[in-house]
Amino acid sequence: MDAYDEGSSARPVPGAPECAGGLEDGAPRSAETGVVIRSAETGVVIRSGIVGSGPDERDGIPGDGSGAVPARGTGIGALSLRYRIAVLLALAVVASAAGVHLGMVFLHVAPDNTVSKEYGTAIGEWVYPEFEQNWKLFAPNPLQQNIAVQVRADVRTPDGGADTTGWYDLSASDGAAIEGSLLPSHTRQNQLRRAWDFYTATHDAENRPNGLRGALSERYMLRIALLRLETETVPGIGKGVVVERVQLRSRTTNVPPPEWSDEKVSLTPSYRELPWWPVSDGDGPVGTAGKADAE
Amino acid sequence: MIRSDRSLARALARVTDTALGPYQTAVIRIGFAVTWLLFLLREYPHRQDLYGPDGPWSWDMAQQLIAANHAFTALLWFDGRIWFEIGYVLSVVVSALLVLGWRTRTMSVLFMVCVLSLQNRSVFVGDGGDNVIHLMAIYLVFTRCGQVWSLDARRAARSRVTITGPTSPIEPTSTSSPAVPGSPGRREDRAGVVLWWVLALVLAAVTLVGRLDGGVLGGWLTLFWGLLAVHAVWWALGRRAPYGQPRIMLDVIANVVHNAALLVIMAEACLIYATAGWYKIQGTRWQDGTAVYYPLHLDSFSPWPALSDLLSSSGVLVLLVTYGTVLVQVAFPFTLFNRRVKNVLLAVMMTEHAAIAVVLGLPFFSLAMIAADAVFLPTSFLKRLGGWAARARGALLSRVPRRVPGPRRAEEHTPEEAEQSHVGFTA
Repeated sequence: MDAYDEGSSARPVPGAPECAGGLEDGAPRSAETGVVIRSAETGVVIRSGIVGSGPDERDGIPGDGSGAVPARGTGIGALSLRYRIAVLLALAVVASAAGVHLGMVFLHVAPDNTVSKEYGTAIGEWVYPEFEQNWKLFAPNPLQQNIAVQVRADVRTPDGGADTTGWYDLSASDGAAIEGSLLPSHTRQNQLRRAWDFYTATHDAENRPNGLRGALSERYMLRIALLRLETETVPGIGKGVVVERVQLRSRTTNVPPPEWSDEKVSLTPSYRELPWWPVSDGDGPVGTAGKADAE
Repeated sequence: MIRSDRSLARALARVTDTALGPYQTAVIRIGFAVTWLLFLLREYPHRQDLYGPDGPWSWDMAQQLIAANHAFTALLWFDGRIWFEIGYVLSVVVSALLVLGWRTRTMSVLFMVCVLSLQNRSVFVGDGGDNVIHLMAIYLVFTRCGQVWSLDARRAARSRVTITGPTSPIEPTSTSSPAVPGSPGRREDRAGVVLWWVLALVLAAVTLVGRLDGGVLGGWLTLFWGLLAVHAVWWALGRRAPYGQPRIMLDVIANVVHNAALLVIMAEACLIYATAGWYKIQGTRWQDGTAVYYPLHLDSFSPWPALSDLLSSSGVLVLLVTYGTVLVQVAFPFTLFNRRVKNVLLAVMMTEHAAIAVVLGLPFFSLAMIAADAVFLPTSFLKRLGGWAARARGALLSRVPRRVPGPRRAEEHTPEEAEQSHVGFTA
């Protein structure tokens, strides 16, 4: 390798012949012919490496893509002092940003502690809304109850009569859709379940909302219920039947303890009933709009 | 003293001269983008219900919440079904392009925009998997995740071949070097320029209409305009002086940013496991060894009740899985100091996530977690994986001509064809 490399630093021969044949004897190596290899059998010279362009050679300037590249190099070693200082500054900024970010996220996911209580506002401002996270996956304890959300409705029948439907179990319908599915949909696994969590988190035991989020969660639950009543086969709801108001309730049942456990828990479900909600025009479009479009 | 100086210098050179973990960053890019792509395709029939303007979480409800928490979502820039449909389809396209690594950096920015837009639009339909993708989509923007296994890498390699090929003449102003990633090739990069202008115009329009939250530092306007500006400068320097000091400096800074983002991604994965593990230790069910039994009997997480019953039929098995889960999650961050133990734990965790995908019915969460785990895979394994993928693709492509005669015929003769290709004969 060394034998060939020496040529790379030599000045190009002005007007050196380009063809392989011209290199046959003496093989003058100009800057653009990084490596010259001669095949013993054929005498053909194969030139590899970067070939400079003609005009450059004649001017005695090595082609730009030639052996000059390794000399110029990349990375911090190729920079002058001024640029190195700039890089070090950038490094300091980036490293601090990454460090602060990790610190903030750590304090966000860690339990309340001396530091996070002191700087709670700053942590919140950094983390919310885009870096919010919660990794208490099935922790500290997994949920040990099945919470089903059920709905019933006061309806006006096509003949003008009034009727109240029986309780329809929305969660059971989700469960049936999930069963045997390799790819459960978020609409079945998360929508109702998380909407109910949102509702309970934004309401007190007397079902009083805590401001905007509480009000939004009520409307969200109502619209989910209406959509389901529209799109699923619900006894008492059908063509020409108008839903005037709905009521939701949750039915909480403990998961029975494992067979091999001697634990005893009550398997009697407990209920939480929400007040009746009137259905206004603004709540209707959920399913109806979709159907109108389809028709 | 001199020794510590030297090691400091070496560390400095390491984080400035190269963008570390090219295969690791590529595999997580592909992993998260594939996960999100599959999720979008799976939910395509339910897209209106989940994110549409007339879904249960309606457009104006989302707007009220966003006005309070200032989360980013392009879906609320305009009302109406058409804007939403465009956004959803665009998300699918962008995810696919990020998988392929076409204009990787730009796609990573658009991927973040799409992920945040959909998730923040309806924040109450997400789960842990969405949360992982949300964070990683942001972090990916700052990485050079297209160095390998991408169309960008292929194009760069080709332009190098063109330039260094023995017969091609080159113009001194537009040469490229293998050492400068992202340098322009011999040919003018038209697609990149067009893409830049399109995005600049869109951003200008959005800025003018006043849909983006401003803010100098940390504001979205700053971030997007900043990214556009950096791209323009990078491109201009690449044309004028590809080996000039400013361009090399930008390259070095890009490496620094990449390496910091990679560190953040790894630390984030550790935080996930540490949090999940340490909080579990405090739970009585994780202590008495029954915890795993319960999720298996929740209606939302038991798509295969018979399988769940079978898995939870043995108290000892449940205890082992329960303790094992906590042990692995708590231990994982510490095993990073020992390569061999780390790899064993990685295999265990990936297997557990694969099992969770089926048993608890959480395929997208599991896929996202496996993608996050993959950042810790050793380079040698990833290279082998890449080799297998390339061979599989080669085998697949070589079969394509046989199937060309038409989809209808192919459908009619599927079993036969499959058998033929298996044996290796053509009819």
